[in-house]
Amino acid sequence: MFEKIAVALAFSPRLEALICETQRMARLFEASVVFIHVGAPNLEEETILRNKLQAHGFNPDTCKIIWEEGEPTPKIIEVCNRENIDLLITGALKREPFFRQHFSSVARKMIRKGNISLLVLLEPQLEPRPFREIVINGTDHERTPEIIAKGIEVALLEKAKRVHILNEVQLLGLRMSMAGEGTHAEVEKTRRSLVHDEVAKIEQILKTLDTGDLKINIKIVSGKPGHEIARFTEKTEADLLILRSPDHKLNIFDRLFPHDLEYILGDLPSNLLIIHENRKGRLWKT
Amino acid sequence: MENVIELTHHDMVMLFLRLCFMLFAARMFAELARKLKQPAVVGEIIAGILLGPTVFGMLLPDLFNSTYGNQPGADLVIDGLVQISVVLLLFIAGLEVELNVVWNQGRKAAIIAFFSVAVPLLAGFAVALNLPVLLGMPEEERVVSAMFFGLSISITGLAVLARILIDLEMFKTKAGLLMIAAAMIIDVLAWVIFSIILSVKGESTEGLGVFLTIGLTLGFTFLMLTAGKGILNKILPWINQKMAWPGGLLSISLALCFLAAAFTESIGIHATFGAFIMGVALGDSQHMTEKAKEILHQFINNIFAPIFFISIGIKLNFIEGFNPGIVGVIVLVGWLAKVYGSYLGSKLSGIKRKKSLVIGVGLNSRGSVDIVLALIALEAGLISEPIFIGLVVLALLSSLGTAPLIKWISPALAGASGDQAPEE
Repeated sequence: MFEKIAVALAFSPRLEALICETQRMARLFEASVVFIHVGAPNLEEETILRNKLQAHGFNPDTCKIIWEEGEPTPKIIEVCNRENIDLLITGALKREPFFRQHFSSVARKMIRKGNISLLVLLEPQLEPRPFREIVINGTDHERTPEIIAKGIEVALLEKAKRVHILNEVQLLGLRMSMAGEGTHAEVEKTRRSLVHDEVAKIEQILKTLDTGDLKINIKIVSGKPGHEIARFTEKTEADLLILRSPDHKLNIFDRLFPHDLEYILGDLPSNLLIIHENRKGRLWKT
Repeated sequence: MENVIELTHHDMVMLFLRLCFMLFAARMFAELARKLKQPAVVGEIIAGILLGPTVFGMLLPDLFNSTYGNQPGADLVIDGLVQISVVLLLFIAGLEVELNVVWNQGRKAAIIAFFSVAVPLLAGFAVALNLPVLLGMPEEERVVSAMFFGLSISITGLAVLARILIDLEMFKTKAGLLMIAAAMIIDVLAWVIFSIILSVKGESTEGLGVFLTIGLTLGFTFLMLTAGKGILNKILPWINQKMAWPGGLLSISLALCFLAAAFTESIGIHATFGAFIMGVALGDSQHMTEKAKEILHQFINNIFAPIFFISIGIKLNFIEGFNPGIVGVIVLVGWLAKVYGSYLGSKLSGIKRKKSLVIGVGLNSRGSVDIVLALIALEAGLISEPIFIGLVVLALLSSLGTAPLIKWISPALAGASGDQAPEE
């Protein structure tokens, strides 16, 4: 699925835990790994990194470690594009700190501006645990079949206990108020039919996939898509939320008038896997 | 000595009887419209025409006069209720605007909306400015009246459009969602333009000046949709958790609606604008549940909207005020300019010809907010009764004609689900 993984490292207390998580991901996806650090190279940090890599099963002599200087987010994107990275792993804080230059703001910038699939970890562990409760965003979009397919693939690899696929009824309030011109039976029928249609869409996609023994729950929500997905993910205490990437780079207007992904970025409900469109000429390994 | 209007015993009886007739008749005719697969607003307007001087007054003048005549107290209360209804109608119009739908449809919806407003606005303005005698425009405020006229024919009725798209099973198609998003942008654009025109008129500014009022309008909109929304996002979760549900959310929402209406009225922008923008801000909050929105829609659409639409028919004599020349010009210009403007916007945003035509016809749906705007213009003396009647006729014809026209242009699109709808 992901052939080449990169991890954006900072010399923070979570460095070692991120390395452990990367090791787990590399084994899960059978991928090669590139380590990226944005900062002026110095001997002390290089030694610390090599020791930590060695301690957690990486060979620092054969590992690719890239040191870059400059603004973190564009540099990381540049390296990932140059190295043909399929998945970038990074850590993030649950809530976005205001006016602080912090690594977690780099993660959110990557989500908003990057063009690489991202695995964002809220609490990387020294003893990483598999993702057992997974939520997949199945809201109506041309990439939904792809996202569900990738999500199911990850769930199968992780031997997940349960997978929730979310879809939403768009503009439910407006539609039900229009339906309200019908009798009670007609209104209820409309409500059921709206939900049924959205369930059917997901079921149609699942029919084309090998879901193994996965327990799959299709959940229909209504409201602001990103917000409802985040709430559901928190409520079910899911380990991982799988989303498609935004259709365009998010800018200040998207933050002033939040929608979809911005609702999630404000307060991350769990670890995130954001899947970008497949790079041209590079097939997903299945 | 001041002229004090009191509610006499007779006024009270007649007030409640009139409200009873209005709601009863509105419901009966709305049901009739529903049976004929038409929006309820069509039935409600027709009910008003029947209950007013046009039919009731003509057939039974004595009974008509005893029902409506010489009741200043009851008249004042009903007028007050109509004003409240207007504010509430604009509030739910704002609630219906979902900015995330607009964002998702992006550039295309914005281009379509722009031309859908600009073309009829300019066409209406040009026609009204050059035919003032035919249209009975007041000479002293010709420019402002012409602007109002242009704006009145450029609005899309979002609720009516949603109704039509649901009935045609087009709501979930790409074209359907694009039309809904464009209609939402049109609503916001139209009410901002409306407030600006009011400031040009100068009557409601009381010395604030055109540019200051424009600045206040845009500033109020921006603040409400940014900082205002931020405050609402703090208040609403607290209300949902601590107060009775849905009562707490409903009453606070309406309280905020009236607060915003009072605020914009006090600074020289019309009360309806405040209600509308508060509706947009509330509706866009992730803490305003779909269920609460649905309840507000139902409550306002079934109690206050009928009072408003029926009162139009009761106020005016549609036969005496009917001028075929004026109605003909309004329907022709309104229809052609709106359809062409929306079509042009669609074509310019890269949509194919047939689908652009469907979008053009779809966005020609009218019958709610446009009538509110026309009534405000009538009460301000900016348009005459014959023009107002022409605009109501335009709204009725547009609502009646949109669905059949869409079916005729593209049977494949009408009746197709999201899966089956032809791709662009």
